Amino acid sequence: MVNNISLYDDNTVISTTRLTKAFGNMVAVNDLNLQVMRGDVFGFLGPNGSGKTTTIRMLLGLIRPSAGRAILFGLDTAYQLPAILLRIGAIVETPILYPYLSGLDNLRVVAANSGMVLGKANDHRIEEVLDIVELHGYGKLAYRKYSLGMKQRLGIAAALLTDPELVMLDEPTNGLDPSGMIEIRQLIRRLSSLGKTIFLSSHLLAEVQQVCNRVAILRKGNLVKQGDVKELLRERERIEVRIGQTDQTSSALDVLRQSQEQGATWISNMSIEENKEGEPILIIDAPVARSAEINMLLAHNNLFAAQICPREGNLEEVFLEATTPTSGPSPHMQNGMQRLAPIPEQTEPEKEKEATL
Amino acid sequence: MSSLPQEHAIHAPKRSDSVVMGSQDFVSVLIRSIGGELYKLRQRSMAKILLLIAIAIMIIAFSFFALGTLATTSFLPDRSCTTDSNGQQHCKPLSQQDIAKQQATAQRVKENVSAPLRLPTSLWLSVSVINTVGTILVIILTGSIVGGEYGIGTIRMMLTRGPTRTQFFLAKIGTIIICILITLLLLILVGIIVGALFNLTTGIAVDFSFFTGGWLFHAILYVLIAALGLFVYAMIALCLATLGKTTAAGLAGALIWWFLEGVLGAVLSTIGFFNKGPLGDFLQSIPDYFIGNNIAALRDHQNLYMMNGGTQATATMNLHTIPDVHAMIVLVIYLVAFIGMAWWAQQRDVTN
Repeated sequence: MVNNISLYDDNTVISTTRLTKAFGNMVAVNDLNLQVMRGDVFGFLGPNGSGKTTTIRMLLGLIRPSAGRAILFGLDTAYQLPAILLRIGAIVETPILYPYLSGLDNLRVVAANSGMVLGKANDHRIEEVLDIVELHGYGKLAYRKYSLGMKQRLGIAAALLTDPELVMLDEPTNGLDPSGMIEIRQLIRRLSSLGKTIFLSSHLLAEVQQVCNRVAILRKGNLVKQGDVKELLRERERIEVRIGQTDQTSSALDVLRQSQEQGATWISNMSIEENKEGEPILIIDAPVARSAEINMLLAHNNLFAAQICPREGNLEEVFLEATTPTSGPSPHMQNGMQRLAPIPEQTEPEKEKEATL
Repeated sequence: MSSLPQEHAIHAPKRSDSVVMGSQDFVSVLIRSIGGELYKLRQRSMAKILLLIAIAIMIIAFSFFALGTLATTSFLPDRSCTTDSNGQQHCKPLSQQDIAKQQATAQRVKENVSAPLRLPTSLWLSVSVINTVGTILVIILTGSIVGGEYGIGTIRMMLTRGPTRTQFFLAKIGTIIICILITLLLLILVGIIVGALFNLTTGIAVDFSFFTGGWLFHAILYVLIAALGLFVYAMIALCLATLGKTTAAGLAGALIWWFLEGVLGAVLSTIGFFNKGPLGDFLQSIPDYFIGNNIAALRDHQNLYMMNGGTQATATMNLHTIPDVHAMIVLVIYLVAFIGMAWWAQQRDVTN
């Protein structure tokens, strides 16, 4: 029986199925199911040693998976790696080029190894990528004389040489100063606006939050969260209430607790914190759309809010919640995971394929 | 029959017009990779320095023979002296006949001593110099172009650009072969020219009667055997550099191998010589499986052909312990082992 099962649509650029890598007894990546769509700026997050770089190495064929498969552009990395690599530009960890060559010569060597014709035919393209990373004028400088930021940018230039559809950047802002980080961020936005798919592995959550539309979070080799950044942040959105008479804040908390017990299940956690001015404020884990109902509840109990405003969630909270071993995901987080990242059912042929790996 | 899910490739969007892609078939990719490797070498000062060192050593080697020629012919005595029983020296002028005889002998000595300055012997001297100096330089070059990729960390970048590991590996070997051939031919040319220039000072004309079709054929074989010798040691460096993932492993390992072969060969032969019987024979036969000895046997055989002509050479060769077929088989086994191991090591995960 021939199974012609098409698992990947034209918009799926990266799709991994139960991708696993073990080094001896240590499982670096476990049953990873990732999906990156065309045009995504995909943030790949995780603490040190969570398996991010191992995953990238597997996607690029630098290491072989112990089990599972990785499909890029509809092609299997186990069998069609050269064709895949021709469509990718990647930097893995700190990009390292030949120290004894100039930036320009390094790019010429990389071009020769990237399927581009030899000689001066691609000099114009080399100039272009040097322009993109703002290294124009430094091409003839020896690579060993480059600063860390310049090396990083030259690595990105090398990754962009073939005008790839997918750009994989592993910690591209490592060692960069704030202005360097801003430049890389701008570059990522520019590449995204050109229709490139960006796969960005980073520790810098604020940076990822600013540039990525989708993220996946790894912890100890396991995927703990994957989804749309906006949706993830919305899940972390809370309501901030400042009561006019600050001494009544704890009474307001009691009122809301009572309502929760009486069936207002949309209210989850509540706490009292202090704002910058040192005034007590009530922080409520509830959808922002319910602000009016909260106001009404308080007013019915003669407690009047001086200010009600949404408190935006941030990726740092999402990340910490997902990666801190002691804190289990909250119920709505679990729902979110199921909704955002359904783990595809493993088909029989896939299982057979895994057995061969 | 297949049970694997069949994926379909997503159509690739058009690249920017400024990107000029080449053909992606196996050979084209390999040729471009070799081109990239050679470009790197051309830009690298180490390669130029190594070549300059080799040229300098070649000139020094030829200048030794030129100086030797000068030393043997500088002083021709015009009288013959004898010492009597009292220790007194009696000298008398040489007769014209004696002087002529002496001059003829001196001329012969001069011709013999200066022979390496002229073809065909200058080819032998050039290849002999390359055989020692060239081996060291080729080992250094191979160790750094292979081990350097791991040592510096550029292997990560290069293996994510499209060529397969086999293409990347073959590109390295191709580059090494090209380097060996270019270096060998260049150094032989330098040796022959330098020799010819030094020969001008001796006043001895070059006799081109040796230059026949047969000689040329054996000369080409002679040069190719020299290249093979360099290539085998280069492959040791390639294998060890790949296994050790450093330049130092390839460089030190191959140099130690090369050096130990000479020492160990001499030691085993000596022990075997004094230890008569099967053990002695066994010990004496071990060096016949060393790379250096087999290369030397192949080279010597071609040299005999070049110097003495076919019949005489065959007769002399029969006395030689290692036949050509034996030498070729041994060298092929070494090459298969080293290249095979390096290829296998190259397929490992790149984790550095």
